[in-house]
Amino acid sequence: MATARPVRAMDPYAEQFWAFTLDRELRLQQCSACGKFRWPPGPTCDRCLSDDFGWSPLSGMAKVLSWTTFRRGYFPEYPPPHTVLALELAEGPLFISYPVDIEPTDLREGMTLELRWTDATDKFGEYNLPVFGPLRG
Amino acid sequence: MAVSFDRARLAPLKDTVAIVGVGETDYAKDYRGAGGQAVGKGEARYDSYTLASRALKRALDDAGLRKDDIDGLCTGGTLSGERASEQWGLNPRWSGGGDAAQCIIEATLAINAGLCTTVALVYGNAQRSMDTAYGGARVTGGAITSYFYYAPWGMTSQGALYALFFQRHKLLYGTTEEQLGAVAVAFRKHACLNPNAVMQTPITIQDYLDARYIAEPLRLYDYCLINDGGVAIIVRRADMTRDLKQRPIMVSGFGWSEENVDATQLRPRLKSFYHGAHHDVAAQAYPMAGVTPKDVDVFATYDSFSVHLLASLEGFGFCKEGEAGAFVQGGRIEIGGDLPCNTSGGMLSESYMQSWNHQPELVRQLRGGLGHRQVQGAEVAQYVHDVAGKCKSLIYTRGA
Repeated sequence: MATARPVRAMDPYAEQFWAFTLDRELRLQQCSACGKFRWPPGPTCDRCLSDDFGWSPLSGMAKVLSWTTFRRGYFPEYPPPHTVLALELAEGPLFISYPVDIEPTDLREGMTLELRWTDATDKFGEYNLPVFGPLRG
Repeated sequence: MAVSFDRARLAPLKDTVAIVGVGETDYAKDYRGAGGQAVGKGEARYDSYTLASRALKRALDDAGLRKDDIDGLCTGGTLSGERASEQWGLNPRWSGGGDAAQCIIEATLAINAGLCTTVALVYGNAQRSMDTAYGGARVTGGAITSYFYYAPWGMTSQGALYALFFQRHKLLYGTTEEQLGAVAVAFRKHACLNPNAVMQTPITIQDYLDARYIAEPLRLYDYCLINDGGVAIIVRRADMTRDLKQRPIMVSGFGWSEENVDATQLRPRLKSFYHGAHHDVAAQAYPMAGVTPKDVDVFATYDSFSVHLLASLEGFGFCKEGEAGAFVQGGRIEIGGDLPCNTSGGMLSESYMQSWNHQPELVRQLRGGLGHRQVQGAEVAQYVHDVAGKCKSLIYTRGA
């Protein structure tokens, strides 16, 4: 049984994003007209308003911008303490995730982390959740 | 963003509209409830209209106006404009709504356009007794916003978003948690001078540091209250304010700018602390009012979290970027200091009226006569509203 997570925000574009995670693929929409990556998923390029796009695979590399550790519980699926990361993906977009295989006290501004996967399920079904950990070298 | 506002069109709106009346509910008394016990979450005793109606009546009495003098209405909080109008027997010629700054700016524009002359701006929110949630599964109303998009990773609440903001400020500038603590301590000190403030017990910097983290690095006292209340503000065309009960307080300058591009990604929050919007608003409001930050005698900022003050002070040029942590030390932001901030106690310690309680306080400071809470010689007051990059500012001055 996959690990229960708080429910995802779902729409036709988010559905496609999460479908790729079943194959452990992190892909974001990229505008076919101007090349801008977008996140969260949506119908239109916010830079040029084109609605042509592809789902481009990402390198999985990201730099740490900030983090916070929840000391109060909000979701039963995430009892405190639980740390959340703000990352800058190598391809440009910022991305929220959580750290694995590293203590919050070892996090540093600008530190490079790489993509890992963990299992997940909610009312929409099973999927994999992209999380980030230290480079394995 | 391209500079698209027109200074020549803004300038003539200076001092064309005044605040002539303010009213608030009894925040402290209502919070304590019957028998001196704090109202528990979910213990509904009244609704938002009860609170808003009380505030409206008080604001009309304060102004010396009657209900029938009102020809425009703005509603905020959880009020519906239609139901509020019906409740108060009003058929407004113009109506609007939103946060307090938005309503004052929009009412100023409507009055100048000739649609109406006297607008009641009314807010009511029974958020404590109705047990409103600002984090967790119950905020997931269905709209896609930064508020909850990241729930699958365990990310939620405005507080955690501002925790990321402050952690970034710490990393870039070396700002310390002890420095941030000066904000909560100062606002609490102000609340203790305000009998209507919910929080009446002073706190020290040690109390601040000893309090529990909520979303680290933010602690309990960095968070606003959740309490019930109502606020009403009466604004009127300036040439119709003679012979009213109170000295009119002029709306002398304002500005509006929003940073929504990549908002869900948190780019403007974490990459520039929303300073793009701050600079754009400052470029509108200060020249319109004919003042600079140095002229501001009393300042208030939206303060759902203490961190807001750091962002506003840097963004509006009271100090350089990265220096707000040092700026707020040594009593500078306290009454008696160079720049008294949130002199009612703000949303951290007076009442969480989501921008609405700041306006009556600035009006009272400019009217004068507040005793120990009075900022001596206050002539220019500024409010900065910045909620996740939706930024506005108002500059008020004393009328004749």
